[in-house]
Amino acid sequence: MLDPAPPPQAAGVIHDLGYRGYDGPRLGRPQIVRALTWHSFRSSFGIGRGAKAKIIPVLALVAMCLPALVNAFAVARGNARLFGYDVYSPTLRVVVVTIFIAAQAPELVSRDLRSRVLPLYFCRPLRRADYPLAKYVALTAACLILIELPLLIMYVGTIASASGGRAVWNETKAFIPGLGVGVMWAVLMAAIGLVLASRTGRRAYATGIVAIVCFLTWTLSLLLIQAEGGLTATSTGARIAGLFSPYTILDGVRIWLGGTSQGEVANPGHFGPLYGILAVILLAASLGGLAARYRKVSQS
Amino acid sequence: MPSIQAPPIEAGAVIETRGLTKVYPGDVTALDGLSVDVAPGVTGLVGANGAGKSTLIKILLGLLPPTKGQAKVLGHDCGTDGETIRTLLGYMPEHDCLPPDVTATEFVTHLGRMSGLPPTVAKERAAESLRHVGLHEERYRQIGTYSTGMKQRVKLAQALVGDPKLLLLDEPTNGLDPAGRTAMLELIARIGLEFGISIVVASHLLGEIERICDNLVAIEAGRLLRADTITSFTQMSQVLAVEVEEGLAQLQAELAVHGLTATVQARTLLVPLGGDDTYDVVRDCVANLALPLCRLEQRRHQVEELFRDEEEVPHA
Repeated sequence: MLDPAPPPQAAGVIHDLGYRGYDGPRLGRPQIVRALTWHSFRSSFGIGRGAKAKIIPVLALVAMCLPALVNAFAVARGNARLFGYDVYSPTLRVVVVTIFIAAQAPELVSRDLRSRVLPLYFCRPLRRADYPLAKYVALTAACLILIELPLLIMYVGTIASASGGRAVWNETKAFIPGLGVGVMWAVLMAAIGLVLASRTGRRAYATGIVAIVCFLTWTLSLLLIQAEGGLTATSTGARIAGLFSPYTILDGVRIWLGGTSQGEVANPGHFGPLYGILAVILLAASLGGLAARYRKVSQS
Repeated sequence: MPSIQAPPIEAGAVIETRGLTKVYPGDVTALDGLSVDVAPGVTGLVGANGAGKSTLIKILLGLLPPTKGQAKVLGHDCGTDGETIRTLLGYMPEHDCLPPDVTATEFVTHLGRMSGLPPTVAKERAAESLRHVGLHEERYRQIGTYSTGMKQRVKLAQALVGDPKLLLLDEPTNGLDPAGRTAMLELIARIGLEFGISIVVASHLLGEIERICDNLVAIEAGRLLRADTITSFTQMSQVLAVEVEEGLAQLQAELAVHGLTATVQARTLLVPLGGDDTYDVVRDCVANLALPLCRLEQRRHQVEELFRDEEEVPHA
């Protein structure tokens, strides 16, 4: 240090400046909602929380990306692409998305219910619907990353070994519908996860409810499909057996919209629109339930 | 960047209600035609548990719609202008409302953002608010490790972070030990006096908040009992409790001679406290009669008690 006698202020003296008001600009409601969304999005990956909060999101991402990495390796050795972009690795995707949502939806909503922090949000400029909206957008975005990142890795890994513009174009044509399926998944599963998790402030219960509802219904539909003759059956029973769980509904919608990869349900045939309608109803009911949940919550 | 400008506060009331009524489902009437004006400064909102204090606060915040009547905060209508009002208010709820697994700094910063502060301002103001409420190095610890008193301070800091024009504090001394209560009350008084923020403190303990309030609003069963300045209230509420080992009746008679109407309650004489001379009169009377005095103290009333007295002694 060059200066042997620093000014006295530097010697750790705290000056009480007294209270100062704030007359600067204030953000309007839309920006506040955006700030809450960003905050929630970060927390859904455990960012800004302790190390423990990052375990599940990181494991989920790694598990989800593994097949894409294996694919890149296989394609580099001259094999064909291992999975369709529209289904990816179907069972793995269901399991990982369920675990992610079961763990992170309660992180976003049950925590605030548990610690009764909601009145502190609602005594600020936010309106009732803003809070669930921000949480929903945040979890949807988080699910999108979880679902689309591996597809992107798979795409990049495949075109890195592709020869010629034609091959790249074909790959891109397959890739884009895959992204669309990912959007459908994120939009629906985030809504279902949040509406279930927002029922209770106890995180363990919330996680249990989400996991049980997702896995049980999924297993039920898979069993029914099997009982009706499997994925290639064309009986009415087989065609509608996928209507009993969100994941198989999403898969039915995918096939109805023209998806060709072998997924988890039999071709719904002319029941396709039914899958579409049910998906929309499920989404509307979940979002409606979520909004209703927060309409009265802080009056208690 | 759209900004919401705080309109100038009128010199008049910070809160005005007219015929404010709230009936909860199941015919529970929490507020019953409440009309009251609250002047700037520190105002105590007193009433027994269930008198309607929290309901009133929630209506003022625009969190609850009133069944009937009108309420205005800082000149804005609660029914139509709730959003503007909420940018001008700071609210400290009665119950626990803190997540245990974040630090006080993070929590208050986040709520500063939710009050509409830009990111860097939210950080600065969070640090400042926490300093003002007396949390220093502890603010980097997780809230779950805090004592009740520290938690109450964090609750107060989050109400302050958005630089409110009016603070609504619901039972701020809840769960605190006597020393903690005193510290919290001093803090509130300082905020009202030095920070120039109007404050409404809801409490069921009149004796406690009368120390720091300029005005008092007393409600019972959702109705206004009385709204007045603190001096007129304390005159009514303060009594001197005199205990002597013997000669209670003699003392009562002696006091009556000196113009003090004392009432007997169990083995204690309650003397209305008019001013400092009351002490002198009581002392002289006791000395004149040479009675063994064992207690001479100023009584603080709980609100319910105060109202009972008021009914019994209408001229008080």
